[in-house]
Amino acid sequence: MFARHDSLQAGYDVVIIGAGGHGLAAAYYLARDHGIRNVAVLDKGYLGGGNTGRNTTIIRSNYLTPEGVKFYDESVRLWQDLGEDFDLNLFYSTRGHYTLAHTDSAMRTMRWRAEVNKHYGVRSEAVDAAFVKRGIPSIDMTCGGHAPILGALFHEPGAIARHDAVAWGYGRGADRRGVEIHQQTEVTGIRLQGGRVVGVDTTRGPIATSKVLCAVAGFTPRILDMVDLHTPIYVHPLQAMVSEPVKPWLDPIIVSGSLHVYVSQTARGELVMGASLDPYELHATRPTLDFVEGLASHMLDMFPFLSEVKVNRQWAGLADMTPDFAPIMGVTPVEGFYLDAGWGTWGFKATPVCGKTMSHTVATGRNHPLIEGFGFDRFARYQLTGEKGAASVGH
Amino acid sequence: MKIMVCPLNGPRPVAEFAYGGEVRRSPDPNTCSDAEWSSYVFNRSGSPGAKYEWWCHIASGFWFVALRDTTRDVVIATFPAEAVRRGLPTPGATVGPAPAISGGAA
Amino acid sequence: MMHRLEVHAGEWLDRSVAVRFSFEGREYQGYSGDTISSALAAVGMPYLARSFKYHRPRGILSFANHDSNTLFQVDGVPNVRGDVTLLREGMRVTALNTFGGLWQDKARVLDRFARLLPVGFYYKAFHSKRWFPHWERMFRALTGLGEVNLHAAREATPKRYGFCDVLVIGGGPSGLSAALAAAQSGAQVALVDESPRLGGSDAPPALVRAVQESGSITLYLATIAAGYYADHWVALASPSRMTKMRARAVVFATGVIEQPAVFRNNDLPGVMLASGAARLLARHSVAPGRRVVIIAANLEAYVTCLELHSRGVPVAAIVELRTTAESHSAVTSCAALGLPILQAHAPYEAIRGPDGAVAGLRVAPLNAAGRVDADSSRHIECDAILMSVGWAAAAQLFLQAGGSTQFSEGLQQFIPTELPQGIFAAGRMNGVYDGESRLADGRRAGSQAAAHAGLGVPSSAMVARSARCPSHRFAIIDHPKAKNFVDFDEDLQVKDLENAAQEGFDSSELLKRYSTVGMGPSQGKHSNMNALRVLARFRGVGVDQLGLTTARPMYHPVPMKLLAGRSFYPERRTPIDAQHAALGAVWMPAGNWRRPEFYAVSGESRAQSIDAEVRAVREGVGIIDVGTLGKIEVYGPGAAELLDRVYTGRFSDLKVGMTRYGLMLDESGVIIDDGVIARLAEQMFYFTTTTGGSATVFRELQRLNALWGLDCALVNVTGHRAAFNFAGPFSREVLQELTDIDLRDEAFPYLAVRSGQVAGAAARLMRVGFVGELGYEIHVAAGRGSDVWQALFAAGAPRALRPFGVEAQRVLRLEKGHLIVGQDTDGLTDPNEANALWAVAMKKPFFVGQRSLRILQARGPRQKLVGIELAAATPLPKECHLVIDQGAIAGRVTSVTYSRALNKSIGLAMLSPELAQVGRDIQIRVDNGAMLAARVVAAPFYDPKGLRQKAGLGA
Repeated sequence: MFARHDSLQAGYDVVIIGAGGHGLAAAYYLARDHGIRNVAVLDKGYLGGGNTGRNTTIIRSNYLTPEGVKFYDESVRLWQDLGEDFDLNLFYSTRGHYTLAHTDSAMRTMRWRAEVNKHYGVRSEAVDAAFVKRGIPSIDMTCGGHAPILGALFHEPGAIARHDAVAWGYGRGADRRGVEIHQQTEVTGIRLQGGRVVGVDTTRGPIATSKVLCAVAGFTPRILDMVDLHTPIYVHPLQAMVSEPVKPWLDPIIVSGSLHVYVSQTARGELVMGASLDPYELHATRPTLDFVEGLASHMLDMFPFLSEVKVNRQWAGLADMTPDFAPIMGVTPVEGFYLDAGWGTWGFKATPVCGKTMSHTVATGRNHPLIEGFGFDRFARYQLTGEKGAASVGH
Repeated sequence: MKIMVCPLNGPRPVAEFAYGGEVRRSPDPNTCSDAEWSSYVFNRSGSPGAKYEWWCHIASGFWFVALRDTTRDVVIATFPAEAVRRGLPTPGATVGPAPAISGGAA
Repeated sequence: MMHRLEVHAGEWLDRSVAVRFSFEGREYQGYSGDTISSALAAVGMPYLARSFKYHRPRGILSFANHDSNTLFQVDGVPNVRGDVTLLREGMRVTALNTFGGLWQDKARVLDRFARLLPVGFYYKAFHSKRWFPHWERMFRALTGLGEVNLHAAREATPKRYGFCDVLVIGGGPSGLSAALAAAQSGAQVALVDESPRLGGSDAPPALVRAVQESGSITLYLATIAAGYYADHWVALASPSRMTKMRARAVVFATGVIEQPAVFRNNDLPGVMLASGAARLLARHSVAPGRRVVIIAANLEAYVTCLELHSRGVPVAAIVELRTTAESHSAVTSCAALGLPILQAHAPYEAIRGPDGAVAGLRVAPLNAAGRVDADSSRHIECDAILMSVGWAAAAQLFLQAGGSTQFSEGLQQFIPTELPQGIFAAGRMNGVYDGESRLADGRRAGSQAAAHAGLGVPSSAMVARSARCPSHRFAIIDHPKAKNFVDFDEDLQVKDLENAAQEGFDSSELLKRYSTVGMGPSQGKHSNMNALRVLARFRGVGVDQLGLTTARPMYHPVPMKLLAGRSFYPERRTPIDAQHAALGAVWMPAGNWRRPEFYAVSGESRAQSIDAEVRAVREGVGIIDVGTLGKIEVYGPGAAELLDRVYTGRFSDLKVGMTRYGLMLDESGVIIDDGVIARLAEQMFYFTTTTGGSATVFRELQRLNALWGLDCALVNVTGHRAAFNFAGPFSREVLQELTDIDLRDEAFPYLAVRSGQVAGAAARLMRVGFVGELGYEIHVAAGRGSDVWQALFAAGAPRALRPFGVEAQRVLRLEKGHLIVGQDTDGLTDPNEANALWAVAMKKPFFVGQRSLRILQARGPRQKLVGIELAAATPLPKECHLVIDQGAIAGRVTSVTYSRALNKSIGLAMLSPELAQVGRDIQIRVDNGAMLAARVVAAPFYDPKGLRQKAGLGA
């Protein structure tokens, strides 16, 4: 699917740090849409080994803010054609997505999101308890008596996909167009001259380049230190767990903010489950027992019949969080240094649109219109995005 | 579960504690520029390392400062909250910088 | 064919107790002590399951729950581990994931298409956007293992906290001696083993007895150490509960996991790991067959042969991969018994019999380069093939604990190199294989672990790792027709892994993800080692140059019921909870509390009840329990300064005996809370916070107080105090009957606070105006709350007092235009945008959020909170319906209600600044897309001058 390159060239037109979905997508569109093929994608680990392969694969566009809805809606549109573009099955599966509301204030937020979504042509509705029961007949509508379900935000286009395959598809597509993917190649420094990028130092030697795209999720602050940029990004682990395969019984994707659960069932029959962020900063992906205890308990509140279903595995990723639950994208005060970060717990679904918009931004040196609300300077200007209003469990 | 050593209560499971974020140094709100202020309010030192952090033992309502390695999740030392006013030593150094105060007022 | 042998001294069966069960709808019988797998083996079942992908017949492989061949559906429970689940009377057992039953599985045709289903096949096909949904329905029908019974009830299992000095994981010889040594050093020891009986497969009986008789060793048998977590916190899962064990030190004596030889048809039923066959034989007296071939590459093979021979099971051949076996008495004994040994031979292909199980083995000479000479192969008739070619360290938990390992060429095994603090390794997983040295290694580790826990003197013994190599370096035989399986869970053959590597998935992590090797229910226990060897050969490197994939919990899958335990939800109830219930309260959640939304009255609709509650407050008197509000006291010379810094308003100039509204911001200038602050004395304040914010606000104030070092102290009295809002034109008249406090305006003006007695209880009274009528917030000790409520109730009866709930309060406050933080504000609203600058004293030297607020004011508001009204006949919009201006979103309705008092619908809306002008007409889009006309108006809507609350008008 992709070639192994024995050595780095002396220079590239663009160096992309991070061979995850975002970095590879940017490389793919740079080569395909902008004719920029002399590109190196560097990764200190292996292709797709970070959050691309650690997320719970949910794709949706039911955001609260106009900039969010438009951006993610474009992403959903791109997702739907990706398999044919790549000639690779991503198992992109539209399943419908319920964000359950257990309180009247949550119901208000659901309506707010639904109204904004509909305004931009995104299929979302605030639905009542009876609708939820019809859509998920097996759910305990009282959630063990602890958190009765009053209704939900139903988002029809909500989907899941095979996460690793997305990185492979973009990687293969980029590779075929001449992009070099270098795994086990860690960036150790970024060379600046007069406030402009001139090169990158790596564990396999230096590279000359005038453009660097940083797409490294939880490792963003370490790269930003190399160019002396400061952002609000902070890193907490986000954990998830998966059950053994069982015969499919759960068609839609279910999210409950009150119970801190999101769950879907994969094409293999596994239940993929997630919850909220770990409570404090940590730059390690160690799992905790509290996490699986709490998540299992809340799962059984909703689906008591899963008592005997076994948890197979738990894992974690490093989430690069921002104060307004929106990414930080585009040009930065360092000329030639482009940022695609602040993806927190919501980056997977944005993979295609990030590739599209960041490749445009890198190629032209100007932010793509779709990412204008996510600019680097918005905090200094006190122009935060309003996505925080919808932050229950924002996956 | 992680064990956190509280200066008041001794070793306790970390679930008994609330994390209060990094101890940050506030510029003087009356003299600093808007840019300095917004940087203080929003920006964080996101890279891993030994960091001073606010921690609260919830049941006893006791706040203290922990110097924690955020890669290994190991608490290197703890300090009473007053130490923030008096000045915390630079991690790895012995002499502290100017008082680091989060919350603004001098 | 497998069959049961005569009674044997050491067997784990009670043959006096027959256990009846059914399998695939037919009745069978086993004995007490049988597992599901052993009972099915004993009755000669040719195979037990169908494989995940190709639906090939499968039988017992490891008999240790290291593969997923023997998962069953049992009495409605999916994926039950047949190897280790004891047979119960009446069990109904079926195979998983078959279409038409195990014997007639229609999906078995997939096996014939296996050639057409290369690795990654599903990624390369079916991705037409149009057709994928169709294919997906088919995949979803074929996928999965067992079936969930959607009607099963929740099982709430208990949890236990355990504590010990030394936790020993693994009850084999090294674990037992580690436990004993630690106990002898004075340690309290916990010893965990998966097996229901102690001793592993070969521990000396005296050692087992010594451990059982030790008073310092607690045994956790039939228990899995499922995961290691930070600071020696280990999840122990037994069938009935989880124990969360905190240890001071942990000894990993987790042993080794036998690995299969890889050759064509190595997955046929009847081909099994020798250790599994040995366990079946010893514990359940089940013979693996009537004519057995063993594939040998280590000493253990010969020991197994002797055991088989001693139980009368004929050994047809020992197919020795090596040119010579080690010189050992077991080898010479086999030779002496005349068991045929074929040296430097390899299994080339297992032959399937008519019943689907193995009927023979084709063997071929193996040359020095490791190649088989297929032309010289020959057939050996047999009905069982045992594989004894090597082991993999069961190091998963050790790796989770932060230990590191390195591949030893000599042992062909990963062995521990670096041990984190308090972590010790012993026995075969530590590379120590034989006899006394395993015991010595256990003693060493146990002693060192106890010393780490502060007990005894650590052993300085050095125990040498095994000199013999117990694992073959490459027991993987190529075959042009493949079907040489590496991963039995996932039906992965050698070529699948090679093809994946060929495509660029040539690191261990990428290989795992693309091929799914090791991702099945057994998590690579029987497949990861061989997959690494295949990858190493492909890459032309040593296994030591390839990393292991990350080891993550769970070691074995753990049922959610054990992890969940009994759900625990703290729920707070005010002292008046029982009265509310008696009055017909309809509850709603409020943080951890429950509050009456309204009080249902028979014969009244919800709307009628709420309306009547509102009217009672407007026209008579009403009472609401506001005990859920956060209640904080602050004392000391610095108290006023603290409040000046944390609230936007000024409190240092608040007169004793008066109250003032307070707004709290975060550092970015966003409204996060509000409340009423009362000055009870020069150096004592009492204030309220929102219900939802009380804990976090209190905690943050404590932090700021600790930081600033002001001379004051904070006490959270939220739960100590009951509180009611007693409001309505007649509230003063009724309340005066019960209190010694002079309630006349001149003595107790609006916004004043007074202390005294109410219904015999010490009370603080605050004259507040939240609902817009004459009213008093009454705060008493929680223990007196119920009495005072009842006294107020009785006294109010002549004025038709009604309790009112949260819904009525929302209407009342909305008529007054009061905002609710979090409903009328969002995560970015500043006081300017909320029209609350009246509560902000910008001239103070400092308050939290002040500096940001200056910047925000210079930036200008992005939105503005305003009052809106709709004509009486207009249908009511819902909260969060959008305001649309020229086709664009221009705001949203944050609160809305029909006001009977005003005979129109009123609300608050957050609008773009251009629209937020009094008198401006706006359009609200409702559910069906229709537009409703509304107008921006000034708030408050009701009694805008506040005469009712201030002057008590209306009575």
